[in-house]
Amino acid sequence: MSSLFRDYQPESFFDEVFARQDATRPHYGGMLGNIGSLSPGDYAALQRTVDAAFLRQGVTFTVYGDDKGTERIFPFDLMPRIIPQREWEMVEAGLIQRITALNLFLNDIYHGQKIIADGVVPGDLVLSASHYRPEFRGIKVPHGIYIHICGTDLVRDGKGDYYVLEDNGRCPSGASYMLENRNAMKRAFPGLLHSLPVRPVDEYGTMLRETLAHLAPPEVIDPVIVVLTPGIYNSAYFEHCYLAKQMGVPIVEGRDLIIRNDRVFMRTTKGLEQVHVIYRRIDDDFLDPLVFRKDSLLGVPGIINAYRKGKVALANSIGTGVADDKAVYALVPKMIKYYLDQDPILPNVPTYLGIDPKECDYILNNLEKLVVKAVNESGGYGMLMGPSSTEKERADFASRIKANPRNYIAQPVLQLSRHPVFVDDHFEGRHIDLRPYVLYGDRVRVVPGGLTRVALKKGSLVVNSSQGGGSKDTWVLWEDRLDMPAETSTAA
Amino acid sequence: MLSRVADSIYWMARYVERAENFSRLLLSTQDLLLDAGAEGVDEAQFWQPIIATTGDEDAYNALHATVKGNDVTEFLALRADNPNSILNCIRAARENARTVRDQISNDVWECLNALRLFAESAEGQAMHRTQSAAFYERVLSRSYEFQGIADSTTPRGEAWHFLRLGTCLERADKMSRLLDTCSALSLEMSPHPDARPLRWAALLRSCSARHAFQAYHRKPDPKKIIEYLLLDETLPRSVASCIAEVHTALLALCGTGVGHQMPEAVRHAGRLHADLAYTTVDEVLEVGLHEFIDDLQMRLNQIGDAIFKTFVLHADEHSHAAAAAADDLTMPALGAYHADMDEDAQMQQQQQQQ
Repeated sequence: MSSLFRDYQPESFFDEVFARQDATRPHYGGMLGNIGSLSPGDYAALQRTVDAAFLRQGVTFTVYGDDKGTERIFPFDLMPRIIPQREWEMVEAGLIQRITALNLFLNDIYHGQKIIADGVVPGDLVLSASHYRPEFRGIKVPHGIYIHICGTDLVRDGKGDYYVLEDNGRCPSGASYMLENRNAMKRAFPGLLHSLPVRPVDEYGTMLRETLAHLAPPEVIDPVIVVLTPGIYNSAYFEHCYLAKQMGVPIVEGRDLIIRNDRVFMRTTKGLEQVHVIYRRIDDDFLDPLVFRKDSLLGVPGIINAYRKGKVALANSIGTGVADDKAVYALVPKMIKYYLDQDPILPNVPTYLGIDPKECDYILNNLEKLVVKAVNESGGYGMLMGPSSTEKERADFASRIKANPRNYIAQPVLQLSRHPVFVDDHFEGRHIDLRPYVLYGDRVRVVPGGLTRVALKKGSLVVNSSQGGGSKDTWVLWEDRLDMPAETSTAA
Repeated sequence: MLSRVADSIYWMARYVERAENFSRLLLSTQDLLLDAGAEGVDEAQFWQPIIATTGDEDAYNALHATVKGNDVTEFLALRADNPNSILNCIRAARENARTVRDQISNDVWECLNALRLFAESAEGQAMHRTQSAAFYERVLSRSYEFQGIADSTTPRGEAWHFLRLGTCLERADKMSRLLDTCSALSLEMSPHPDARPLRWAALLRSCSARHAFQAYHRKPDPKKIIEYLLLDETLPRSVASCIAEVHTALLALCGTGVGHQMPEAVRHAGRLHADLAYTTVDEVLEVGLHEFIDDLQMRLNQIGDAIFKTFVLHADEHSHAAAAAADDLTMPALGAYHADMDEDAQMQQQQQQQ
């Protein structure tokens, strides 16, 4: 290997590549034989080429809190993260188990609420989740599926065991970066991807389209599907556009849609055209000013009524955020046991609930050791990283927790696994997580791999793009190319 | 095609064309000044008509008390508070392209994205300060690139027709304004006698027609120039040629109809097309060039409004929207991106992402 890795230190962390300083893990052998032999200069030149291409193509996200709406590229590290087949098979089974249980749970609490009646989970906790929508109780949704697209965040601890950090069952983002990262790798290392049995991801658009088409009202043979975006100022606008293009469907804004006789139509140059399935990337709150926020400029007045009457399908459904609530997250192992009578394949991170007085005391007394999270925030906002926090930040969080204990949970600080990341002219270890994408249509499918997110700041544990995170391509490496499953075999 | 998409493609093309026209106008005016400068002519006399051409005189006068070359070029090229500056046109073209990325080819998108990256970059701004001609030339060549890529990658469907509508209407508008300022000069003011032929040559350069014209009529006779730029359909930038293409595009988009069934936009475009085809330059001068162009401008606006009404607003939907507004429901604006976009909507779009 060239000088790229000469001084690389795995330190005391679980390193994805190096079992020890002088020993690489076997599944990285093929890739390191190629990339590892580049000189630092050649490697840096490749990285620059890829960055310039992303900027030129506008593969960017928008930074908020900056009145110019600055667009940045999502920093991309060229060295791929590799997951061997056996690990992936376990992760995949765990994700399928989890989304199955979550959908059964949502269907239950929006109908009979048996899990609460049976005393398995506390009703006051579940029903007080701010994304619980009581007005949706008793409403039938297509095929009883609530979460069609899920982006579950996984992390590995100091021993390399996988944990679920959170479920993102509202509008998980990032799939476009997964696809663009793979394209960038194909251009940067064409021979390498060809020579290794890496599971492809580029069928995601087709899979997503099939998942959405499955929701269409049964009488519709050739459904019209659209992607509903808040607009170009949304940080994920690039992704909304990209996915629409991958699926070959229109991208619309709320103002493009109009309701007539409880049906949804889009305004076209030739008049109104009916829409059957909407992949909406707008939060519940903004979706319909007649039902939710009255001041919404992004929504479609009457769309919720059309959904209730089964004239149009929404993905994801309304009120899925209750499963994203970080206090409800803590109950998922119980759901898996209750609905499926199984033990979780992928464990949760131990979680202390603010709503439980004893656990709340523990949180308040151990703030400097814990990660505290607001239950409904995402994107790395509303978080306290105990060990790196200041006294003032801890005092601030303590008073917020006391004022509204239901709104906070805490978890021990996990020593997330690390991966080599290119810095200037050599590699250094940085913490990573993994967001695989799960699609629930006529069956459950998991895109092999997903988006590996990297905390680019040295020592940081926060991987979110809004907080200085970057990403890597993720390779699920199969043992035998001939044995790879076909990604798009349609249901029999 | 979505109405908003059609409107965005139309405005994307208009803004590119506007940036191109302003760049060429500034470039040719600078050249003209270099030629005329030695003769000791008042600078303001050259720049005043330029501001008039853009239709942003009021905005300029609000910022500056006098007309100075540096102020005018900065105002027209880079000022963020001039919604029609070259920089803002490029931004608006690119933002509209961004809203319709799924409808245009990647190459068209990358071309406009690169142009905007250049115009906003420190390199671009410095280039405008130190060698503005190079800056304008860069904008021009990117715009030509845009035309070429769009021509060779856009399927000849609705997207193409809306794109051509935007380009041709903007071109006709700017061409007529250019002609207008020159006619006013030659008739009402008496510039330095030696400067007059220079000015007509500059007019031809401002619309890339100098060599084409010279090959056609050797002497720069003002009457011939007016005829060439206004009425000659063989010149791709002439008003007549632009309107012919607008007419064709509208026929392709909504077909023809007879009597009261003929779409409004087609009626206006067709009538203007015929008028230009059957009018002689002598008739134009008899009416007066300025008066003729005033009427022309009004009719160009009529066509633009009719396009918006027909394809974006839809007459019946419009009445419904008005009813909704009466119910105190917020009705967001339909149509394309413009620099003065609603800030509330902008804020709401910035939702947290999972």
